[in-house]
Amino acid sequence: MFVASLLRTRRVAALALTAVMLGTACAGGASPTATSSAQTGGTPVAGGTVTIPIVADPTLNPWSPNAFVESVFPNRVLFASVTKPGKDLAPAPDLAESWSAATDGLSWTFKLRAGMKWSDGQPLNADDIAFTFNDVVLKKELAANGAGNFAAVKSVTAVDPTTVRFDLLRPFAALPSYLAYNAGILPKHVLSADPLKTTSFNKGVPVSSGPYKVEKYTAGQSVSMVRNDSYFGPKPYLDKVVFSVVPDPNTQIAQALSGDIGIMLLDDKASVDRVKSASNLTVQSRPLVQYYWLALNQTDSRFTDVRVRQAFVYAINRKAIIDSVERGYGSIANSAISPALKAYYDPSLASKYGYDPEKAKSLLKDAGWTAGADGILTKDGKPFKFTMDVGQKGPLEPVNALIQQDLKKVGVQADLNTMEWNSYIQKVVVQRNYTATVNWWVYPSDPDVFPYYHSSAAGKGFNIPGYQDPKLDDILVRGQAATDVEKRKAVYKELQSYMAENEPYLFLWYPEEVDVFSTSLKGVPELGLRDAMHYIGEWWLAKK
Amino acid sequence: MIVFTSALTFFFVNLAPGGPSSIMNMSATAEQRDALIRAMGLDRPVAVRYVDWLGGALRGDLGTSLTTDLPIATLLGDRLPNTLLLSGTALALALLVGIPIGIVQALRRGTWLDRILDLISTLGLAVPVFWLGIVLILIFAVNLHVLPSSGVSSVSDDSFGDRLAHLVLPAFALATTILPTVVRFMRTSLIEVLGTEYLRTAEAKGLREATVIVRHALPNALMPVVSAIGALIPRLLGGTVVTEAVFSWPGMGRLALDAANGRDYPLVTGIALVVATIAVVTSIVVDVVYTRLDPRVALS
Repeated sequence: MFVASLLRTRRVAALALTAVMLGTACAGGASPTATSSAQTGGTPVAGGTVTIPIVADPTLNPWSPNAFVESVFPNRVLFASVTKPGKDLAPAPDLAESWSAATDGLSWTFKLRAGMKWSDGQPLNADDIAFTFNDVVLKKELAANGAGNFAAVKSVTAVDPTTVRFDLLRPFAALPSYLAYNAGILPKHVLSADPLKTTSFNKGVPVSSGPYKVEKYTAGQSVSMVRNDSYFGPKPYLDKVVFSVVPDPNTQIAQALSGDIGIMLLDDKASVDRVKSASNLTVQSRPLVQYYWLALNQTDSRFTDVRVRQAFVYAINRKAIIDSVERGYGSIANSAISPALKAYYDPSLASKYGYDPEKAKSLLKDAGWTAGADGILTKDGKPFKFTMDVGQKGPLEPVNALIQQDLKKVGVQADLNTMEWNSYIQKVVVQRNYTATVNWWVYPSDPDVFPYYHSSAAGKGFNIPGYQDPKLDDILVRGQAATDVEKRKAVYKELQSYMAENEPYLFLWYPEEVDVFSTSLKGVPELGLRDAMHYIGEWWLAKK
Repeated sequence: MIVFTSALTFFFVNLAPGGPSSIMNMSATAEQRDALIRAMGLDRPVAVRYVDWLGGALRGDLGTSLTTDLPIATLLGDRLPNTLLLSGTALALALLVGIPIGIVQALRRGTWLDRILDLISTLGLAVPVFWLGIVLILIFAVNLHVLPSSGVSSVSDDSFGDRLAHLVLPAFALATTILPTVVRFMRTSLIEVLGTEYLRTAEAKGLREATVIVRHALPNALMPVVSAIGALIPRLLGGTVVTEAVFSWPGMGRLALDAANGRDYPLVTGIALVVATIAVVTSIVVDVVYTRLDPRVALS
């Protein structure tokens, strides 16, 4: 009841916001479109506070099952991990300085920096990493957040204080990349009793290892952070970082306009023009390791025919979706590997399927679907009708409406069943009780997408369509076994073209993130904002 | 009454599709979901869980929130004062502004002033609070820079003045949800009282108009307004859900919304319990005040 009415009010509020913004708030006048150099130029100076909005009280423990999207920013600032995403998104040193795989690919050894300390002055070493994995991530009954990413890890051994070895159940070449993804290391000396539910830690002032540490956690309002003098890296420039709890996206935008916010993610791209015209703000877009898809349940025999899946891809005007719903911030996807993964992405596939309803019709005809009386295709006397379950989140509602229209044009009737998000997850993801649905995946910065496609993940894992294909499985397994970068590139190029041809999920588009910055904030690397959090020590504020 | 509310809430929220956010999470595996269901005890029947919860509640233990792991009493203790402050201020504001306007309208009924004020309060009823909230933020925080846009206090400043400044916009926005009702009750009831015989008698006796109104008409006319307050409190608390979200006000409304979205069963029940208690207590208070104002009504 609350939820439905709030979702409705959100949309109206966005309209109201745009309307009001046109009438007021124009004092700043237009500014030239900022260039990317705006964020990097000049000589860094120390000092100042940057405020970043988050939508709810964070849980300051990356492995807590209650650490959701609002917790990602602060946790990436607070907890250093074995590796972190490099500025090219390849794994880069964080706690570890170097790493290598055993020749059989069944273990990885990480060499750590010497002399690291926690924010309370206690030593930080290989024991903490072994603790985080053996006693938290790999403990199944704790259900640690993201533990599924480490299903290939058997155990972790602290060889000596600066050496740690990950023993694997099967080759897992992506391990260094996965260790850079929401895998902050926890302090063994604080959390050995209760690693995931110690609320004085999760909702208070945790012992941490990153460039900043918590100064004060004010429930419902903010988490303020100051420099962590025990940090192993260079001294950060900003005096303070404040994560301010602002649940309403329109209020976030208003605060950015009033100069109260240093940097934020603009979720509602409809507001981008207004923000662009504010003289105190810079707008930039960044590629994301994310893609939207349409899953067609493979237990429905109509969708096991590859021609039907390809026909749908031709039928859906993906460019129109990107232009309208994403305001142009995105690009057409034909595989799971995002352009953000520059080393692996194959740009030649981008034009594989144009918007071509005629081609779609002829493919459907080849698959045995013929025009029925009311314009709906039929086969064996049954009309091509099904229900798409729609979760109320992000751009999903308008996207589904557009897809529904496009499918109708080729004689396929999709009825929409819109649901509140939590109920949607239960029906579609948990119970797999659906025929077709649109959603997205965000995944670690690595082309290893095994968990989302392998047949072992069909039905219960992340393989939502339940697509099972020995050929695809084989490519995925070879990718995990190839530790050499050039070999990996070859395998994942093969994976992309196989995916584009077979459409295990129907790939829709790769979204781009729109970041809104204060013009005085510099030194933020050209990464998605979540990844840029790993570099917060390099951010600085130009004096006004 | 309160036990009934908690039982109703507990069963309804448990019957809603979905589950706690940690379980209904795209990135949780089936294995993780099973482990979480066991850890939270959600594999037990709803009735068993309710009896368990009620047993704790009767001993003063409202349980632990499923989405934050914090004791529910702590969460409510943090948030309730903020909501009481916000809705109390909004109520006071609505009465302080609404009663005089109602009086003016009643005394000048039928004039252009009455019609303009009537139009304003009709608009007031029609304008949704989330829209008004954003407009207020854009005007006073973004353009004029005179008031803060969100929260109960600044990170660096926690003085009385700072808190007061944070209260102004949300309290005003929330007050508008009941202000038109206060005005209308006041206007209608005063007009009615002014038409009664004893007032015409008083006027005929040669008493001054001001004396007639203040000494004789107002006390009687206020009675329906006071009884309306009891009915307005639930509406006010409902309004906090939206107001608190727009102004990032850390109160019960936001907590309720997050708890409902996240299927935090014990937290939703705890909040319902508190809101029900407030509704019961205020209606008792209103009844007591009523007896003081009107000697004909006695508590028996």
